[in-house]
Amino acid sequence: MSSKQANRQAITLKGSTKTVTEFFKYAVNTILFQREVYPTEDFTMVKKYGQTLLVTQDPALESYLEKILKQVEKWLLTGSVAQLVLAIVSKETRTPLERWVFDIKLIEQPPDSKERAPPKPEAEIQSEIRAILKQIISMVTYLPVIQEGTVFNILAYTSEEAEIPAGEWVDTDPLAIEAGKSQQVKMRSFSTDVHRVDAMVSYRYEPEQ
Amino acid sequence: MQPKTPTRHRARSDVARTPLTPSIISGLNNVSIGSTFAGSPKKQTGKTSSKSSSSSASVFDTTNPFIRPPSRAQSRSRAGSRPGSRPASPVKFVSSSTIPVSEDLQRQAGEGVIRKGGIESRLDVVTRDYVPPPKSEPKRSRSTPASSRDRFITMRDPESEVAATLEQMSLNPVSASPGHTARLIEATGVPLNRRILSYHEPPPSTSVDNTLTKQLECVKPLYARPGSVSTSTGATTNKTRKIPTQPERVLDAPGMVDDFYLNLLSWSCQNAVAVALESATYIWKADSGSVVQMGEAPEGSYVSSVEFSGDGSYLGIGIGTGDVELWDVERGTRMRVMGGHQSQVASLSWNQHILTSGCGDGSIWHHDVRVAKHKVMELLGHSGEVCGLTWRSDGELLASGGNDNVVNIWDGRVGDVGEGARGNARWTKRNHTAAVKGLAWCPWQPSLLASGGGTNDATINIWNSTTGARLHTLKTPSQITSLVWSPSRKEILSTHGYPTNSIMLHTYPSMERVAEIRDAHDSRVLFSAIGPAGDMVVTGAGDENLKFWKIWDAKSAESAKKKKDDGERRTNTTNPHTLAIR
Repeated sequence: MSSKQANRQAITLKGSTKTVTEFFKYAVNTILFQREVYPTEDFTMVKKYGQTLLVTQDPALESYLEKILKQVEKWLLTGSVAQLVLAIVSKETRTPLERWVFDIKLIEQPPDSKERAPPKPEAEIQSEIRAILKQIISMVTYLPVIQEGTVFNILAYTSEEAEIPAGEWVDTDPLAIEAGKSQQVKMRSFSTDVHRVDAMVSYRYEPEQ
Repeated sequence: MQPKTPTRHRARSDVARTPLTPSIISGLNNVSIGSTFAGSPKKQTGKTSSKSSSSSASVFDTTNPFIRPPSRAQSRSRAGSRPGSRPASPVKFVSSSTIPVSEDLQRQAGEGVIRKGGIESRLDVVTRDYVPPPKSEPKRSRSTPASSRDRFITMRDPESEVAATLEQMSLNPVSASPGHTARLIEATGVPLNRRILSYHEPPPSTSVDNTLTKQLECVKPLYARPGSVSTSTGATTNKTRKIPTQPERVLDAPGMVDDFYLNLLSWSCQNAVAVALESATYIWKADSGSVVQMGEAPEGSYVSSVEFSGDGSYLGIGIGTGDVELWDVERGTRMRVMGGHQSQVASLSWNQHILTSGCGDGSIWHHDVRVAKHKVMELLGHSGEVCGLTWRSDGELLASGGNDNVVNIWDGRVGDVGEGARGNARWTKRNHTAAVKGLAWCPWQPSLLASGGGTNDATINIWNSTTGARLHTLKTPSQITSLVWSPSRKEILSTHGYPTNSIMLHTYPSMERVAEIRDAHDSRVLFSAIGPAGDMVVTGAGDENLKFWKIWDAKSAESAKKKKDDGERRTNTTNPHTLAIR
C-alpha cells in the first residue's frame, strides 16, 4: 500500500512538475511578448488553459527556452529549484529593468498518509494559471514603458546540492534592480498537488518620473 | 496553380492584446505596491523566525527572496541592514559560493571579450558579498571539480564562470549598478545553499537574427503606420482598416491572356462576371455560380475586350480582328457583329445604347447598337492603341487613354452631326510617361477622373474634368493596370503589374495608402472590375486566376450623403429601360 502510495505520489510529482514547467513556458512567452523583448511578429497564438496565449515562433528562441525549461523540470523533480526569475535587462546599459520572480515551493503533504487530500482538479489548477497569466498581461498597464531594446535572462535559484549539467548553467549575479529604484508587486499564485508557485514582479522605477 | 500567399500566416499574427478584465485591475489595486516593504525588516524578522518552523509558511509573503531557509542568522541581520528601505529589489542575496569571477574572467570582462556567458559575464558579475562566518565550507557544485579550490578557471572551459572559494570573492567596484553593489556589501543574509544559475548561452537576440529578418521584413507592414513602410508584403493597413489579404474566392481562368492592353473582365449590375479566355468568352453568374460560354472568336483570332451594358442585358465583345460583337446575355445569343475597325478592339465602354470601342490604331468609334449603321461617330485623338476607355456615368464625357501616353477627355454628345468626327477632345493630358490603361470616373464627385500610367510612369493623376486641372498625383511603385473608385468610401483602388503585382488602396483626397496586397497574383494584375454591391473587386491576371477581394462594405440602402445624387449615378449602371437620351 505504501509503495502504491509512493507511486501515486511520484506520478503526481511528475504531473505537477510538468504543469509547473508548462506554466513557466507560457508565462515566459507572455512576458516576452508583453514587454516587447522580442518583436511582436515573432509570436503566434495558441490555445492553452482555455485561453489564447502567445508563444514565440522564432526557432532560436524556442529551442533556447526549451533547453532551459527542460533543465528546470529536472530540477523540479528533485526539488532543487526554489525560484525562477525572468530578468529583463536593457540591451545597451545592461541595467535590469524588470524581474519576474516565480517562487516555487513544495507543498508539504500532511504526514498522515492515510487520508490523502483529494487531488486538485485540473480545472482548478488551470483557472489559477489562467488568472496569473491574465494578471501578467494586465500588468503592462502600469509597468513603466520600456523604450530601449531589451534582453532577457532566466535565472534559477537552486539549492546547493542541485545537479548542474556541466558547462550548461553558470553562476551569475542576481541581476537585481538597484535598490531605491524598484517597485514590487505581488501577483497571484497557483498550486498543484505538489507545488506552489507564487509570482511577483519588481520593476525599475525612477521616482522623479 | 497555387497563388503565392505569403500572407496566410501574417493575418493571424495580427495580435490583439487581451483586454483587461476589471476584476484583475481591482485585484491589483489591492496589492499594495511596495507597501509591504515599508515594514519589511520587521516582517522579515518575524517571518524568518516563523520560517524556521515551516518552510511553506512564508508563501504569502511578498518578500519572496527573503525567504530564508531555516536557521539563517544572516537573514535576520540582513533584514536589519536595510532599515527603511524602499521597496528594494528583491534579490539581494548572492550565494557566496557562486561568485563567478576569476582573474581571467575579469581580464576578459575588461577587454570585453567574453564569448560565453553573455550578459552574465559582461555584467559585473561579481558582487560583493559578505563573508559568512566560518560555519561551513561552501559546497562546490558538482559541475566543478572538487579539487580546484583555487581561483582559476576549470580546465574544461576557460571562459565559463567558476565557483569561487570564499577567498576569491572580490569586490568589483565597477558595478553595473553601484547602488546594488553597495547594498550587497551590506547584505549579510546570503544563504549559502542557494545558487543563482543562468543558462550559459545568452538568449537569442532579436534584431540580428538573420533567419528572422526576412520574416520581420515581411511582417512589418502589419504594424507599420500607413505610408511609413514603403516596401511591404501582405496588407498594410492603418489601425482601423483591415483588408483581407486573401481573396474571398478564386476562380480558375485558364487561357487568360497576359496582355496589358486588353480588357478582359467585366462585372454587370446583374452580378454576372464576363471573362474572356483567349478566344472564348464566359459568363460566371455570381449568384448561382454557373458558367455559360458566350461564344467564340472567329478562327485564328482572340477576344480583346468585354464589357457589359449598363443594365447588364448585353455584352459587348471586342475581337482582335476589329469586330465588335453584341451578345444577349439572357439568351446567350449573338445579336450582331459590328465590324469596321482596322485592328484589335482592346477597350469598350457603354453609354446607354452607345457602345464605344477603342481600337489598336488609336481610333475611337461610337456604335449605336440599335441602328443598322452602327458607327455613328469617330474620335481621333490617339496615335497609339486605345487601351483605356470609360464613359462618365452621366454620359457627358468620355475618357480615353492610349499607348501614346495621352489621356483624352471627350465631349459625350454623340452623333447629332452624323458621321463626322467631332474634332478635338475637350482636354488632352500628356502628363503620363507610359500607356494609360487605368481610367476611372469618381462616383461621388462626377468631375473627377483618375488616370494611371504604365511601367515607366506608375503615377495616378486625378483630374478635374470641368476645369482640366490636375488635382492630385500619386507615385506608386509599379505599373498601374486599372483603377476603381469606391462607391461607398472616399477611396480609390489601383491594381498593379510590374514589379509588385499588387492591389493598392488609397484614400482620397489625401492619396494616402490605406492598404496594399502585394503579390495579389503571381503575375501582373491586369484586369479588375467592381461588383454591383460595391464591396467586391475581381481581379484577373496572366496567372490564370480570377480573385475576388472584399475591399469595402456593400452599399445597402445607402444614403445619398456620399454620392451627390441618387442611384442614377452608380458606376456601371444606368436605369434600365430608360434608353432615352438624358
